[in-house]
Amino acid sequence: MNRSIGILGYGQSVYVKKTDRTLFSFFAEVARQALTSANLSKGAIDGLAVCSFELPPDNAVTLAEQFGISVSWAYLGTAGGAGPVASVINAIRAIDAGHARTVLCIAGDNYDVAGHYRLMDNFNRALKNYATPHGFGGANGLFGIVQRKHMETYGTKREQLGRIAVGQRASAMLNDNALLRARLTLDDYMNARVIADPIHLYDCVLPCSGAEAVIVGALDRAPKGKGVRVLSGYERHNHPPGEVAPLRGGWELFRDALYRDAGYGPADMDFVQAYDDYPIMVAIQLEDLGFCKKGEVGSFLERHSFAWDGSLPLNTGGGQLSCGQSGAGGGMIGLVEAVRQLRREGKGRQVPTARRGLVSGYGMVGYGHGLSTSSVILECVQ
Amino acid sequence: MTAGPAYPRPRADADNRHFLDEWREGRLALQACSSCGHKFFYARPLCPNCWSDGLTWISAKGEGEVVSFSLIYRPNDPAFLGEVPIALAEVRLTEGVALLARIVDANPASIRTGMRVGLLPKAEAARFPLPAFRPKGA
Repeated sequence: MNRSIGILGYGQSVYVKKTDRTLFSFFAEVARQALTSANLSKGAIDGLAVCSFELPPDNAVTLAEQFGISVSWAYLGTAGGAGPVASVINAIRAIDAGHARTVLCIAGDNYDVAGHYRLMDNFNRALKNYATPHGFGGANGLFGIVQRKHMETYGTKREQLGRIAVGQRASAMLNDNALLRARLTLDDYMNARVIADPIHLYDCVLPCSGAEAVIVGALDRAPKGKGVRVLSGYERHNHPPGEVAPLRGGWELFRDALYRDAGYGPADMDFVQAYDDYPIMVAIQLEDLGFCKKGEVGSFLERHSFAWDGSLPLNTGGGQLSCGQSGAGGGMIGLVEAVRQLRREGKGRQVPTARRGLVSGYGMVGYGHGLSTSSVILECVQ
Repeated sequence: MTAGPAYPRPRADADNRHFLDEWREGRLALQACSSCGHKFFYARPLCPNCWSDGLTWISAKGEGEVVSFSLIYRPNDPAFLGEVPIALAEVRLTEGVALLARIVDANPASIRTGMRVGLLPKAEAARFPLPAFRPKGA
């Protein structure tokens, strides 16, 4: 990864449960914010990456048409919630190779709970033909199978997984953009209504509308003290091949390279922004990314606390579990929060020690599990 | 052709037509690769192991065990609302192939990992768009 290229600015829309606004209106809002944050103007953008489930039949090129910009590099994410982190990795490589100078990476969707159900029923041919006719309950049913398997294989307990949701909610209470800001206790988590046993209500994200954006370019153009370096980044798709409900993902394959390239290990991360469609997948990421051994995440969760001021600050804006899941925007919410923290713009939830952190993506649910994974390690430019 | 709830149905195509026809007869058809012998579910145009398109159909014995499962109280489609919780399981067949399938004819509270299950007989199979199982001995 070329260390002279990084993230220059970011934007995040307000999240809403229902909206009459168009998807393009959300995209324009976050693009404008990101430009302001990078101290750049629209004319500077010559590369465009977009991740969005609701965007088709439009795409990255027709988004350029809507935005009235001419670009020399266009990228359409296909990796679901792993796409936005992957888009930033690819944008850095594109700039390094000379294809563009300034890339705007956007992710988001405008839908609601009903729209999310429609999306999951038609997400891909395997789900539409071989899961929807079972009444599979969308991702909830599939991750219920994964969570039960983890619990029965390794002894992981709901009250351990609940510490993730509870910690993140404490951070969300300090985030005006979060849809869910009421205090959540472990009792609330344990006693919530069952959705797809063993998945209960506070294991699930609230589908919503919103968008996120970052701008990638040469770090010497960043406003003073506001650049964010990408130390390393990897993506992996369809690992392990052929399993229905694996307890691991592509992170385990690139973990060693990710830390080697960065020159840091898990203990050096001042925060983690992990893809949190479900606490069980955060737990599996913590294992696969080397924060603890495979199967030992239960006791790891007991030893740590996960609010912004906890022993392992995790999804410090509240994550998708508390902010809502704005479709593919859920794959960029952690990235934007990481950039905010490293620019020391975290306001009431600023992690005091935030110099570097890990951001992880996960998505594209296929026949039983998410196929795609991605991760980056970020560091503030002093 | 089928009685019962208006479940969403798989879309028949060149890859899965035989599988869907077989299920109407109460049989579970798997694909087997003529080149490498790999057996798999769901129906595809290529062997995911060796990419051969020389695929044949085999009829599974229809027996397996529950690897893990979820009891779904909030199915996406309203056609399922009258029968919650839906027991959706990862079932490993004796042929070694795993698939997602409903476990029916069982008290949901009695379903366990490791439970032996068998394919529904033809008379009851017609109700379900995809292969479904019930506990062995039920």
